[in-house]
Amino acid sequence: MNLPKTTHLKYLLIAIGLVMLMPNSSYAGGAGGFPVRPKRLLLSPSFSYFYANKGWDSLRHKTPFADNGRFQSLGFSLYAEYGLSRKLTLVALLPYVRNTYEDNTAKTVSSGFTDLEVGLRYYLANINYIYYFTIQGTFVQPLYTDLSLGYKQQGAEVKLAFAGSGKVLGKNYYFTVENGVRQYFGSQGPLQDRYNGTFGLTLDRKFKHQISASISGFYSTSSFTKFSPIQATNKNFAFNQASLTYGYTFSRRFSVFLSGGHFINGRNTGDGTTASASFLFKPFR
Amino acid sequence: MVNRSNKIFLILICTVAVLSLQYHPAIAQDDEDGISTVLTPGNKNAIFDSNAKYTFEVKNPTDAAQTGTVSYLITQHGKKLGSGKQNVQLGKKSSQKYDFDLPAMKSGFYKVDFMVNISDYDDTTRRVFGVKPEEIRSKYAKPADFDAFWQKAKDDLAKVKPNFKVTPMPKMNTDNRKVFLIEMQSLDNYTIRGWMTVPISKDKNRKFSVLLGLPGYQVNLLPITGLDEDLAIITLNVRGQGNSRGPIDTRRDEFIFYRVEDRDNYVMRGVIMDCIRLVDFVYAQPYLKHDNILASGGSMGGYLAIATASLDKRVNLCSAQNPILCDVNNLDGEVTWPINDIKKYIKTQPGLTFDKVLSNLNYYDGKNFASNLKCSTIMGIGLLDPYAPPYNEYGTYNVIPGKKRLLVFKDLGHEVSQVYKDLEGRWMRDAFALF
Repeated sequence: MNLPKTTHLKYLLIAIGLVMLMPNSSYAGGAGGFPVRPKRLLLSPSFSYFYANKGWDSLRHKTPFADNGRFQSLGFSLYAEYGLSRKLTLVALLPYVRNTYEDNTAKTVSSGFTDLEVGLRYYLANINYIYYFTIQGTFVQPLYTDLSLGYKQQGAEVKLAFAGSGKVLGKNYYFTVENGVRQYFGSQGPLQDRYNGTFGLTLDRKFKHQISASISGFYSTSSFTKFSPIQATNKNFAFNQASLTYGYTFSRRFSVFLSGGHFINGRNTGDGTTASASFLFKPFR
Repeated sequence: MVNRSNKIFLILICTVAVLSLQYHPAIAQDDEDGISTVLTPGNKNAIFDSNAKYTFEVKNPTDAAQTGTVSYLITQHGKKLGSGKQNVQLGKKSSQKYDFDLPAMKSGFYKVDFMVNISDYDDTTRRVFGVKPEEIRSKYAKPADFDAFWQKAKDDLAKVKPNFKVTPMPKMNTDNRKVFLIEMQSLDNYTIRGWMTVPISKDKNRKFSVLLGLPGYQVNLLPITGLDEDLAIITLNVRGQGNSRGPIDTRRDEFIFYRVEDRDNYVMRGVIMDCIRLVDFVYAQPYLKHDNILASGGSMGGYLAIATASLDKRVNLCSAQNPILCDVNNLDGEVTWPINDIKKYIKTQPGLTFDKVLSNLNYYDGKNFASNLKCSTIMGIGLLDPYAPPYNEYGTYNVIPGKKRLLVFKDLGHEVSQVYKDLEGRWMRDAFALF
């Protein structure tokens, strides 16, 4: 009856989404693809690292940050999903970051919780019980007053996701494609399009080893167009990122995912390199 | 002890399992390097709106040129309805495709033989195609007192104290499942038995969704194990089968007509009530989810799945593969079994007529159960099925009022492919939210 396969793939996708967390935001990229079993809890703490010492300007020209500037961000986040019913899943994300910008003249450090996200995901439909469509509504609540940690504005997001799994060349594959539109409230609150596509393969029949590749990105517009190397404060920007992830499943309750990524192109954004480690717990299987 | 997939094939019985995807063309050849043919219908399920279309390919890898014909012959109930022919002139080491646009036919199923007769090779490929099968309806109505008849049977069953008994069978346990022998009293106080396997879980309060595996004809069902973590799997041996043989202990071919002369005592009345009693059993177990019950089976098991889900609304999902005894008045002339066995029996019973038997069987017709089948249902049929012909199966499927889906296997007989079993698993998991 294929449970192990389906379950593993679903959680793998969720975890991959988590390890793609932006250092300053709460983009749980691959989490939205599949419905979740009622009363099942999933917890995923993640550690992430972001580094940039150059960036693209508004004309997409890439230059080093001024005065040998460099931005790095260490992040920790806790992501949770809970199946409320066959159709509804409760989703929450609590991120914490420590941002550091340093150049030849100064060093700025800011840290704290950033945007808490709480959402509901609704299972819309399926194709042959293989491909799933979901829609998710998310409320964004800033947990900080320091503007170097984020926009300090409430927001809301609607995200559509399409996910599925199958076999190709003798391997089990899985994918998720999703797109979310987020509006931060306020006079200059950006309107953002956040997208992600992931394709992964399990390398063995026991679903112990997995690899995946992802393309994700932001397109953010706002009347506030000023650029800052501190990515969290930019409002009018865009970028695309490519990531690779390796996952290992220790048991049905615990998996680890390691991911590395790099920005492909961008506008008004740092040229970032990312790395992350994510842990996936299913305490009440 | 066998795993679940193996068990399903046991349930389906009768034919060798051919794992096949739905859209494999029919291939015939005399030897590895010899002349061969490939027959491909214009529709992947060989179901058409009016004119059936086929492509008949002849491959000639030999060094000899071939001449002759390719042709087809359409029949229904042994009556010739159409034919066609094309000349073949095939060079050495070559192949040629011949398109056939068959005559328009009215709603129904038709047998078609494609023949190749060339210099060094003769062969016939036999297939069945359907035309507008969604319009098929049996001309034989459900007895007016059909519902009352079965309500009486359920009332009679309710008077029997079930005395459910669950016996652990630790020597049969697997690494991940506990095995139990289950036992209960059914209609006529008949003792029926079966098996239940339950996933081993550290959570003592965990409740499991339920798969009821219903038996094929004269099949002795054993415990079904496997790797599944979420399902309790219950297999029932109805009266007269497996470990539920007892007062009813017929020879294999006699079971189907056991007391068929008596509508109120035909063996299937008790058999169907055995299945209802099994649902009672599920409801009596606190560790089973009472709102997640799938009734599934093949052949007679498919028939029992339809009957059980129709009569007992506590069943949430119904999966019927190649159900027998559907549209019974239209089986004569279409199938050899069980009609021939029943006719043999009639000859031994003074005063008993075939019409009388059919009159009784109307109360046991799968088609008549189907019209009250309201839970979500999937059904699988083979167009070449010699026991559950596609016309009868469609006549049953078409009257199901609930949410339903039909999988047609154009090249299979009395079986379904792994495609069906995979879909069944995904469908069940989706419905029971076992994501």
